Amino acid sequence: MSQERLSADRPTTTDEVMVEVRELKTYYEGGGLFGGTPVKAVDGVSFDIHRGETLGLVGESGCGKTTLGRTLIQLEDATAGEVRFDGVDVTTLRGDELYEWRRNAQMVFQDPDSSLNDRLTVGEIVREPLDVHERGSPEERRRRVRELLDAVGLRPEHYYRYPHQFSGGQRQRIGIARTLSLEPEFVVLDEPVSALDVSVQAEIINLLEDLQAEFGLTYLFIAHDLSVVRHICDRVAVMYLGHIMEIGPTEELFTDPANPYTHALLSAIPEPDPTNDRERITLHGTPPNPRYPPSGCPFSTRCPARIRPDRYENLDDELWTAINTLREVLRERQRAERSVRERLRARLGKETRFGAIEETREELFGDLELPPEVRTAIDEVIDHAADHDERRALARLAEEFGSVCDGEGTPAEPELHAVGEGGRRSFCHRHADGYREPDRVLDARQ
Amino acid sequence: MSGGPIEDDRTLVERVADRPGPALPWLGAGLVLLALEFGRFLGWALSLGAGLRFAFDGIVAIPGWVGGNVADTAGSLAGFLAQDLTALVVLFVVASVLVRLAPWRIVDRLELGWSRKREAYAERLAVTAVLAAVASALAFTPAGSILRFELEVAAWLLESVAASIPTLTSPETIPNQGHRTPGGGWEGTFLGLSPAVAWAIRTAVVFAYALACLVWAWSGYDRYRRHYRQADWTPRDDTVRRLRNHYWGLFGLTIVIGFVVLALWAPAISPVPAEANIYQPYEHEFEYLGEDGEVASITHGAANINTRSDGQHTVAPLSYDQYDRFAPLGTTPRGQDLLTNLAFGARTSLIIGLTAIGLGAFIAVVLSLLTAYYKGVADVLTVVASDTIISIPAFLLVMLISVIFSEGNHPLADPLDGGLLLALVFAFVFWPGMWRAIRGPSLQVAEQEWVDAAKSYGQRPTTTMRKHMSPYIAGYIMIYASLLLGSVIIFTAALTFLGLGISPPTPEWGRLIDQGQPYIATSSWHVATISGLMIVLVVTAFNALGDALRDAIDPEADVGEGEETGGATTGGGV
Ligand code: SF4
Repeated sequence: MSQERLSADRPTTTDEVMVEVRELKTYYEGGGLFGGTPVKAVDGVSFDIHRGETLGLVGESGCGKTTLGRTLIQLEDATAGEVRFDGVDVTTLRGDELYEWRRNAQMVFQDPDSSLNDRLTVGEIVREPLDVHERGSPEERRRRVRELLDAVGLRPEHYYRYPHQFSGGQRQRIGIARTLSLEPEFVVLDEPVSALDVSVQAEIINLLEDLQAEFGLTYLFIAHDLSVVRHICDRVAVMYLGHIMEIGPTEELFTDPANPYTHALLSAIPEPDPTNDRERITLHGTPPNPRYPPSGCPFSTRCPARIRPDRYENLDDELWTAINTLREVLRERQRAERSVRERLRARLGKETRFGAIEETREELFGDLELPPEVRTAIDEVIDHAADHDERRALARLAEEFGSVCDGEGTPAEPELHAVGEGGRRSFCHRHADGYREPDRVLDARQ
Repeated sequence: MSGGPIEDDRTLVERVADRPGPALPWLGAGLVLLALEFGRFLGWALSLGAGLRFAFDGIVAIPGWVGGNVADTAGSLAGFLAQDLTALVVLFVVASVLVRLAPWRIVDRLELGWSRKREAYAERLAVTAVLAAVASALAFTPAGSILRFELEVAAWLLESVAASIPTLTSPETIPNQGHRTPGGGWEGTFLGLSPAVAWAIRTAVVFAYALACLVWAWSGYDRYRRHYRQADWTPRDDTVRRLRNHYWGLFGLTIVIGFVVLALWAPAISPVPAEANIYQPYEHEFEYLGEDGEVASITHGAANINTRSDGQHTVAPLSYDQYDRFAPLGTTPRGQDLLTNLAFGARTSLIIGLTAIGLGAFIAVVLSLLTAYYKGVADVLTVVASDTIISIPAFLLVMLISVIFSEGNHPLADPLDGGLLLALVFAFVFWPGMWRAIRGPSLQVAEQEWVDAAKSYGQRPTTTMRKHMSPYIAGYIMIYASLLLGSVIIFTAALTFLGLGISPPTPEWGRLIDQGQPYIATSSWHVATISGLMIVLVVTAFNALGDALRDAIDPEADVGEGEETGGATTGGGV
């Protein structure tokens, strides 16, 4: 796959904004009748999609990218915010308006095994949207289905076959034909090739590019495979824990990432260019539970460029990792629902299943050299925790080691700062005045 | 690659008309089969019609019943209002079903430009109004009673036609009732053969005819598949193939078919008419050669007293009683013919089983689709309802309800001497179990991306459930239905054994066991033994069929088999 040739083929995108997403939130209620804490799958994102472009949406699994894609085409109800298609907020559409609008925005699903009903013939599958929207006479619909099959590289006589008789790549072509049957303008591609063999991935990607050129489609391309994204997308949005961390033109973002999370994500791809001196950034821990995101920056629990209080700027990295882990442990203890019995035991000063916080301390800080003031602070934190007062323990920890990244001070959340030339934006406090840029910090801390 | 011409968009009728070769002989054979037993088919259709009419009368009675109840508490004006309102609701439900079935819609012609939902409701309301007009015309003008009279005349006419057309298997065509002549031959039997041989011939003809029907149906499927179907291969082909190789299942299927044939052709298989032998024994006479060498006549009732199998006397299987009536399976302790009882008892069991399981499965499927698609509150309510029903021991619940209704002489307790009531109670008791059993698969299929896809292009939820979800739970419900059918048969027998289920004279297997059970150690052992074995056999067969269906439907069962169907390979050449 030659990058240059394909970039040259790419249809020129207009600057006309097609989709405006503003402060969009999609929360999943916590199951059961009585709500509970919702999962904040998408937690306030804003961005634009231009007519004719391919916008990539990348991030680890569970970051909310699929939910975002599904919300854009109204498969999920938005909790708050707006999705304006050509000026119309589609989150407010109901009944007939929604039904009429749906034909404009369609989706290619991830798993070709699950996206096609195996009990219907290919013809019936591709035809169904036409039937639902009562397009033309039955003969016209059949003719249209055959044209679509042809357009996606299948043969018209496949009309009376069943999906079982096709390979994964062919099934995905059937799904694409169905997606295109209503002539949508906007298509969400939800990891359209990740379930396919590597050998057919390129075929499907090329097909999608050809179809985009032929029908003037606008794509939202959701993926976790960054090389595919770099290949096909005009712009890329990087998502983490329900937030867009960075968004901007693909090449710029890949060659000169601004956000610490983008740095970390990109450093995970094997580097084809050995002369590049970028070092691999290892992230500690796992992404936080989206039910209980951290206050402040969503990435603060793992960020290698996190802003530190000035007096601790030069503290050992290992020590910082330990402090971060301690905070996570405390947060978890705080929200763990304890049975009445456990509460009683805690009151009476007996052992609970949460174990002695002393052990945790030993595990985390046992091998480390602690400067005296750090040791005092940690001791106080541990004391509070031993009294089962996690709230105060956390407050003490934040007071001593916290920064804007953890939501200390205002604004708690970072802003989307403009970076680079191509209208790129990055969601990080470090772009504000008075802080060093993330890449310099990362270099320094490596 | 095989298959017809590429652009094969003709309808099935057109395809057959263009190439009638394989279809014509099949249609001809079908007509012959139909003609041979036309009277019997007509009879079945009439009984079905009578059943529907009973259901119809029941629904018609709802508004009056509601109105009456309201009038009792809130005065007669409120009663009338409630009655009319209920009637309109019932009509609206009927209209919704009719709108679904109709190939075109009124509002489409009018081009009102309304919203989809509004049009749909307008359509239903319009049809409701039409129905209401027709209904009140029937209720308040002589038109109604005229129509009813006409229908009754038509039904009577058809019945007499059905009775007068000779059918291949009727006891009139191959009679086995006759009397010995003083000369040593037989009078009145088929070709003068002995009643035993005549009966054997008739029974053999019945089963041969049923077999011919099966072969005809299979050949129709096969011809359709080879010559007229547009797809070379469908997923159902695999299911059928797996079923064909499932010997335990085929055994079950054979027994089940035998059971169904026994029930459907009960009058042909019975050596004596049930009407004469069981229902009205003192109204029907027959002739026999008396000991004095004279041909005498006696009522069945009087004769039955002397032909009991009650330990002291026994009419054993494959023997004649003293009046020269042939009893292939002996007689009952009441002196009736055992096979006649078994055959009509099979009818009772089948009607109860099918009604109960059909109704229960319908409730279970509808609820499982709704709860899996919408989840949330609908799901919770169904869980609560089904848990409540399940928490009461089923047997106790059945006994309770059937006693309440039959002691209260409720009209529902009339048909089949309580059989219908029992079926409804079973449906009520069994749906939670079936719903539970298909809940997992329904939730699973609701999670499939094709359901999301349907939503994404605006498919109606009801259509999505019917088209994209129900085919995947149909298999599961068939498995459980067939397993539960066995339980229903056992339950019915057990209740009747306890004297609660179905009262005489309607024949029932459980009662036969009950009657024969005291004589199990005597020479009349056959009564309880044969009936008991029949139940065991049929229940086992339904279970075997359920197992086979499970194996045939579950694709995992195919894993070890290696060879895949031809279809899976022909699709690959792109
Ligand atoms: S705001 Fe702080 S924690 Fe978040 S990415 Fe920037 S430096 Fe890291």
